[in-house]
Amino acid sequence: MTSSPAAASSPLLEIDSVDKHFGGVAAVSDLTMSVEVGSVAGLMGPNGAGKTTLINLISGLLPSDSGAIRFAGVDIQRSQAHVIAAQGIARTYQNVRLFSGMTVLEQVMAGCYIRRGTSLWASFLGLPKSRTAYKAMERHALELLERVHLGHRAHLLAETLSYGEQRRVEIARALGTNPRLLLLDEPTAGMNVQESSEIGNLVHSLRDGGLTVLMVEHNVRLLKDFCDYVTVMNFGRLLAQGSPSECIAHPDVQAAYFGKSADAERIRARR
Amino acid sequence: MDLFLQQLINGLALGSLYALFGLGFGIVFATLGILNAAHGTYASWAAIIALAAVERLNLPFIPALLAGIFGGGLLALVVDQVAFQPLRRRAGGGMISALITSIAAWIILDSLAGTATGHQSLSFPRDSYPDTIFFVGGIPLPAIQIITVLSMLVVTVSLHLLIRRSRFGSAMRAVGWNQTAASLGGVNPRYVVVITAFLAGATSGFAGVLGGISTNNVSFHLGEGLMLKGFAAVVVGGYDDVRGTAVAGVALGVLEVMTAQYLSSGLRDGITYALLLGFLLLRPRGLFGSAGFSRA
Amino acid sequence: MQPLVDFWNAYRSTLTFALVNSFFALSTYAVLSVGILSFATVTFAAFGGFLGVRLVLQTGIDPLLALPAAAAAGALLSYVIALIFLRLESHWMALASLALILITRVLIINVPGTGGVNGLSVPVTLPFFMFALVLLVAIIIFWRLSASWYGIAARAVREDAAVASTLGIAPRRIQTVAFVISGAVGGLGGMLLALALQYLSPDTYFVNIAFTMIAAVVLGGSYHWAGAIIGAAVFTALPVIAQAIIPEFQDVANGVVLLLIMIFLPRGLIDPRAIRLHFAARKAVAQAPRDATSPAAGGAP
Repeated sequence: MTSSPAAASSPLLEIDSVDKHFGGVAAVSDLTMSVEVGSVAGLMGPNGAGKTTLINLISGLLPSDSGAIRFAGVDIQRSQAHVIAAQGIARTYQNVRLFSGMTVLEQVMAGCYIRRGTSLWASFLGLPKSRTAYKAMERHALELLERVHLGHRAHLLAETLSYGEQRRVEIARALGTNPRLLLLDEPTAGMNVQESSEIGNLVHSLRDGGLTVLMVEHNVRLLKDFCDYVTVMNFGRLLAQGSPSECIAHPDVQAAYFGKSADAERIRARR
Repeated sequence: MDLFLQQLINGLALGSLYALFGLGFGIVFATLGILNAAHGTYASWAAIIALAAVERLNLPFIPALLAGIFGGGLLALVVDQVAFQPLRRRAGGGMISALITSIAAWIILDSLAGTATGHQSLSFPRDSYPDTIFFVGGIPLPAIQIITVLSMLVVTVSLHLLIRRSRFGSAMRAVGWNQTAASLGGVNPRYVVVITAFLAGATSGFAGVLGGISTNNVSFHLGEGLMLKGFAAVVVGGYDDVRGTAVAGVALGVLEVMTAQYLSSGLRDGITYALLLGFLLLRPRGLFGSAGFSRA
Repeated sequence: MQPLVDFWNAYRSTLTFALVNSFFALSTYAVLSVGILSFATVTFAAFGGFLGVRLVLQTGIDPLLALPAAAAAGALLSYVIALIFLRLESHWMALASLALILITRVLIINVPGTGGVNGLSVPVTLPFFMFALVLLVAIIIFWRLSASWYGIAARAVREDAAVASTLGIAPRRIQTVAFVISGAVGGLGGMLLALALQYLSPDTYFVNIAFTMIAAVVLGGSYHWAGAIIGAAVFTALPVIAQAIIPEFQDVANGVVLLLIMIFLPRGLIDPRAIRLHFAARKAVAQAPRDATSPAAGGAP
């Protein structure tokens, strides 16, 4: 189902002519795109296209050089990461960044911190109301783990889990903040077909529950089956936008991923 | 006026000691990224070795001095390979692991130095070093002070040329920036690290022997005192520029002596440490250092 | 009975100093547990110690009542320091905290009321069980901190401050809280040291304590508050034990043990992660034979 940026309601996330340079390298260059509320948006492009940099800019880990980023109409390009998280943006990481030494449950509890509903003082003193709230949050964290099918691993050290399982823990941790927008950076990297489908189903069920998702992905099947709208980047710039099938069939996108067909002709001739 | 000039010369000599020590400390700090708490002990031990060479082996000044310098370098090399090398093979930990390990070395070497000097402050016998005092226009110029200042100048220039103009210097700077990248560029990091450690220990050992002579204080306190001031010289001057360390060290020495003379002796360390703290808070890269102290 | 009494008389002061050093170690641990390397504990101790002693000397109150004042003084100073220092990059902040100790000594020498270079005599002290009691209170505080939401946030900030911030945890806020805790515990420790030594000099609160206490925390295990106390105990007791075996070289013992720990057990003696891994491995082994006897295992070679 395609939803174009020109819909009646304003988009949840708007990126407006954003630039980011590292020395002489333009990681993101004059990028404009948006994500509609309640949609699953895909972000694709060859390695080095600037997708993770864009995620870092949105989540507040990097400041943009110019341009605007608006979340629910509010400017966030100058905001600090923890403020952005409190406003409702959560993310995962391309190379899984779980907290070393903490169990799976503790990872998700860290994600639930901003929703703890009690002051640090009350928690320190161990007041009964605070303890009840803590237990409730633990139950909620276990529920989140159940959603990613890892409830049975709650008390294991997160770093001992398999790569695919660690990615799911990271998603559960991000969900702990109760976000309105979830940024997933290559969530199915290193997963097989079945696991990737499960992630896709999870993303759809999250969308059905009211969450908006922006997913960086290389997996073409995933983009086709689960994304409503796809943006393609290359060399930091916007390359194409539209439905997944439109983008994948787009000649410029094909050239970016596979090389120009004229080059392929030359190779055939040499043989 | 005479008093002023005399104290100025004292300040220059004292500052040269700080600078000389700081040069060694700074090399390790900038190149190997290690805050080495044990660095002062190399100076203490160099003084102890030189004193032993004079008293037990009856060596004249220059050979004893060389023995001390060599001893300082050797000690630094041993500490680097025993304490820091095992850490390098392990990823992670960074500055704090190296610091804690250097504290271990500091504890061991300081205690041993205390035992070696019988927990006292020893002095070099008067005839073991040049103790002539020249007089220029009525101002006394002890030979040892002249030697100190000249040594500092020679070492500074040599190190500067080594670091900025030689291939080894490029290798040093490459290893300091990124060991893996440097080895990919054909540099043998272990070789560079070992030589750098030796140079650093030798330089600080040089300061230790001269300092032990001029302050009549051969003990583990010598190294600790030089360490703190040398550290200040490195920070104020710029952690990766030996010329900056030299300038800052001399300036601090002069400031200290003048403060003690004209303000109060209790404030003498204060000016150095105030400058140290000030620079760390406001301009960590010092007067001549480069921006961007990025360590893995 | 008599041997016990003799033991007590001989080692009471060592035990007292082990308890006092625990405070410095806990103070260092408090900031280390949020990922900050800082030597400022010594400055907090100096501030709390001198202030507490002056309070007792001038008003004649019971030293026990001066303890909260010392803690409060340390907490206040640490809050101010945190505001300035947390703006710095971590390497420079560590060095700045070292510079802070150096400046503190100069201030102690030159500020009136501290006894200057000659030092200050402390005519009062506390009975041993009081030291132990105050440490027990500190232990309860650290236990509560670790078991509360603050503990979770602190561990997250220490492990990966950037990721923690994207989960809504404000690193600077958590680190400021850590500094205040460090200041309070440090100030308390400073006063207790003054009462144990019954004498204060400009060298009482100096670089030596700073270096040995950070080493003690890392040796004991910098990932749990119990590590700080164990480390402080080892560092205090080891030279005393070593004196009986290798006199003349007893101080070297601490350095050697520290070096061995850094090379072989870098996370220290008490490491929750290693303990968890160990129990997980034991559990896996315990389950394996059960799985092997299931029908599905079949006749594997």
